[in-house]
Amino acid sequence: MTPLAYDALVGFIVLNVVIGMVTYVTLLERKFAARMQSRIGPYYVGPHGLLQPIADAIKLFIKEDVVPRAADRWVYNLAPIVFLLPCVLIFATLPFAPGLGVADLNIGVLFFLAVSSLEIVGLFMGGWGSNNKYALLSAMRAVNQIISYDLPFVFAAFVPVVLAGSLQMSVIVTAQQGAWLGIVPKWFVFYPVIGQLAFVAFLIATLAAENRVPFDILEAESELVAGFRVEYSGMKFALIQLGEYAHMIGTSFLAALLFLGGWLGPGSDHVLVGALWFLLKAMFIFLVVTWVRWSFVRIRADQILAISWKLLMPASIVLLLAAAFWVAARGGHGV
Amino acid sequence: MPETLEIGYGGSERLTMNMGPQHPSAHGVFRAILTLEGETVVGVDAVIGYLHRCHEKLAETLTYVQYPSIASKTDYVAAMTAELAYVSAVELVGKIEVPRRAQWLRVLAAELQRVASHCLWLGTWCMDMGGALGGGATVFLYAIREREDVLDLFEALTGARLLYGFHQPGGTRYDLPAGWTEQCRTTLDRVEQRIGEYEAMLEDNPFFLVRTQGVGVISRELAQEIGVSGPLLRGSGIDHDLRKAAPYSSYEHFQFRVPVETAGDCFARYRVRMVEFRESIRIARQVLDGLPEGPISSRPGVKSVGQVRVPKGEGYARVEGARGEVGCYLVADGGPKPYRLKWRGASFSNLSVLPHILPGVKVADVVAIMGSVDPVFGEVDR
Amino acid sequence: MASEQASFLGETGQLVRAVGRAMGVTFKNLLRRPITVRYPTVKRVYPDRFRGILALTYDPQTGEENCIGCRLCEYICPPQVIKVEMLKAEKRNFAKTFTLELYACEFCELCVQVCPTDAIIMMKSFDLATADRRELLLDKDRLHALGLQFDPSWATGNRLRDMQAPPKPAKAAAAPAAEATVPAQSPPDRRAPAAGAAAPAHNSPDRRAPEASAGAPTANTE
Repeated sequence: MTPLAYDALVGFIVLNVVIGMVTYVTLLERKFAARMQSRIGPYYVGPHGLLQPIADAIKLFIKEDVVPRAADRWVYNLAPIVFLLPCVLIFATLPFAPGLGVADLNIGVLFFLAVSSLEIVGLFMGGWGSNNKYALLSAMRAVNQIISYDLPFVFAAFVPVVLAGSLQMSVIVTAQQGAWLGIVPKWFVFYPVIGQLAFVAFLIATLAAENRVPFDILEAESELVAGFRVEYSGMKFALIQLGEYAHMIGTSFLAALLFLGGWLGPGSDHVLVGALWFLLKAMFIFLVVTWVRWSFVRIRADQILAISWKLLMPASIVLLLAAAFWVAARGGHGV
Repeated sequence: MPETLEIGYGGSERLTMNMGPQHPSAHGVFRAILTLEGETVVGVDAVIGYLHRCHEKLAETLTYVQYPSIASKTDYVAAMTAELAYVSAVELVGKIEVPRRAQWLRVLAAELQRVASHCLWLGTWCMDMGGALGGGATVFLYAIREREDVLDLFEALTGARLLYGFHQPGGTRYDLPAGWTEQCRTTLDRVEQRIGEYEAMLEDNPFFLVRTQGVGVISRELAQEIGVSGPLLRGSGIDHDLRKAAPYSSYEHFQFRVPVETAGDCFARYRVRMVEFRESIRIARQVLDGLPEGPISSRPGVKSVGQVRVPKGEGYARVEGARGEVGCYLVADGGPKPYRLKWRGASFSNLSVLPHILPGVKVADVVAIMGSVDPVFGEVDR
Repeated sequence: MASEQASFLGETGQLVRAVGRAMGVTFKNLLRRPITVRYPTVKRVYPDRFRGILALTYDPQTGEENCIGCRLCEYICPPQVIKVEMLKAEKRNFAKTFTLELYACEFCELCVQVCPTDAIIMMKSFDLATADRRELLLDKDRLHALGLQFDPSWATGNRLRDMQAPPKPAKAAAAPAAEATVPAQSPPDRRAPAAGAAAPAHNSPDRRAPEASAGAPTANTE
């Protein structure tokens, strides 16, 4: 098999795995949220609701695709695709285990962050092409918010990069090998002060970049009923949902990789065990984000921007500088 | 709704947006035509009447015995309030006595209803602010869980969960069943503990505070002029509660505090209602401790379904509901049916404050303010 | 500058504490048992006075219909959903036809309260959802069949009217109904009691035709 065909096959497999994971993560979120609200989540479709995502997918397939007559055809129809593409492309650079990944670029983190911020284009296309005031309002809010939070997102993500000395993701993971005193793993989240603060800043920026409560002003069901997605139905809506959750999972994986040591863990010499650890850590971060999502009311658009520009941005710049100084003080190369 | 787009001198565009009758946070069927400049509301045109069901005309065709269960449908969230207003008006004009036990039972029902209504208010308000898929929904489900416990009490008492038909002219229809007082005490204890949990979740939460403090300020003068009542009035610094100012149905026997806050914003109204929660539980406990024996109606047995002939006269009876002053003006002409009935809906007068406080706030604040005004459109449109 | 820094740290500290408290409440609820009742597999225990579907009853001693066709329920019904025609007979009257439009019924229980012979009562069930509205136009046969199909509510006309009358001296054998008392701080268990739970004692005659299944009205006065 030629290398190109081999890579294409690996990419195809990873894409399918990602899509499968994304559909089942919706079920995980629904059950977790339900338990926090004193109820049980999906229960009847399949044992304990395990076939619920399949049912949802089938429902979305067979729904009628309604296109508003006054919508801008090309923009409206292309928007879900433009939205989805970056959200699944970020998985191309994630190494799930040593040697198990599509492409371990030497600028992996940069590629991830750059591509993931392209989703805003698809989002705005959706809001504009729908020819709907609610969608437009939400798209404008979204542009505001995501642009404001992408910068702290990047700065906080660069703290592990600086500490590890490389943009390549597998190098960042191997830089977290070992343990202090044999007990505390050398993950970047355990680095005194810098690690924890950077982790918290990264999580907050993730919440905002994903449009998750408390920063979900763009969809705000009680005001703008589904935001920019309001005019989409059927398969296009499915693509948008897929893209959102894929982005969510992707950044959870990134957070697990940058801060929680990626695939490192007991027995991670074996490839599949490492991949399992990676998955567990990413799911842990996803659950924490879900826990935050279901505990707070949302804040207003101008307050969201205030938090970003007045609090998070200076804090993340200071953190990055602190990490850089620390690395320089230790000899200039990575830890 | 045709859209109007005017470009002003400063280049600012005005967008007319319809927060239509079908809306997840309209608290019912309410249409607000907002004129927006960017994210700021510059004008609001409120359209009501989508739930008009001709209660006042309907009352002229139903006897005084038949109407109380219909009266509960005006404020369907707090049904006991509306029934009490109606039967109080009938008793006032007809000079019908109400035995002491019935009065105390009415107080108990009214206070439990206030607890249930405030549970719904808290849940829906947080849901408006936090989204149906977010933290708001969590508070909503917790509050509904508490409300369901109170509704279980009502179900054991009357047989119905939402629209009770508990009052009748002369007293109440149902007496307490066996074991109800223990169930009531247990429920009150549990609700009180859970209210503490909600306060912990919301009170010093900066997200919540930043959404509610300074938002939707109703000044004291405005509150007095416009004619709002209930928590809106008490949140703006005016100490007026009908249960103390014009006590009805034995309220003068009970010890309770009327909370008053001076800030006038959404947070002040929130604090007023949270304190009212606890005070209602306190009153309910006092009723359970000292409930007098006796008949529950001065028209017992067969007379309860017989006709009431109210002699000619007119009168206005008002009660302090969860949303404010609910009043019933009755004109009787000696027959078994009223000649004219006029409902004073608390939410109707409370909504009239919106055109004064909405201009200048952001769109996101509109839902926070609507939630803290807490309208129920059965009362608005009748 | 120091005070600004202090207040910034103070505010951040407050934010962290508040976030922790809110998430703590959510986490505590994660560990509580859900309060969902998995209807219809599991049914909730309905209280004694539950106002459900209406039905007509038979006299348990004689097996005759209780309804004497007096039309009091028709007169008192607020939405006027009951229509009765009287059939005159030698010793007592009957109802020739009795229609009740359940789709318009308010379930206000006034008809039950007015009935002199406890003929019309409400059942502890509301399971009559149907795809055809005509099935909710209950005629006399259907009403009698419903009376045998579900558990009756405690409330009959005589009991409701007695409840409002001044209290008489304590009657004999009025065992209080078994309302489950639950421990504080945990949601009540709404699931139906286990099959072995004892049925509460009652001191009123069974108001249904002898072929009926078990489940008599229970005493419910203090």
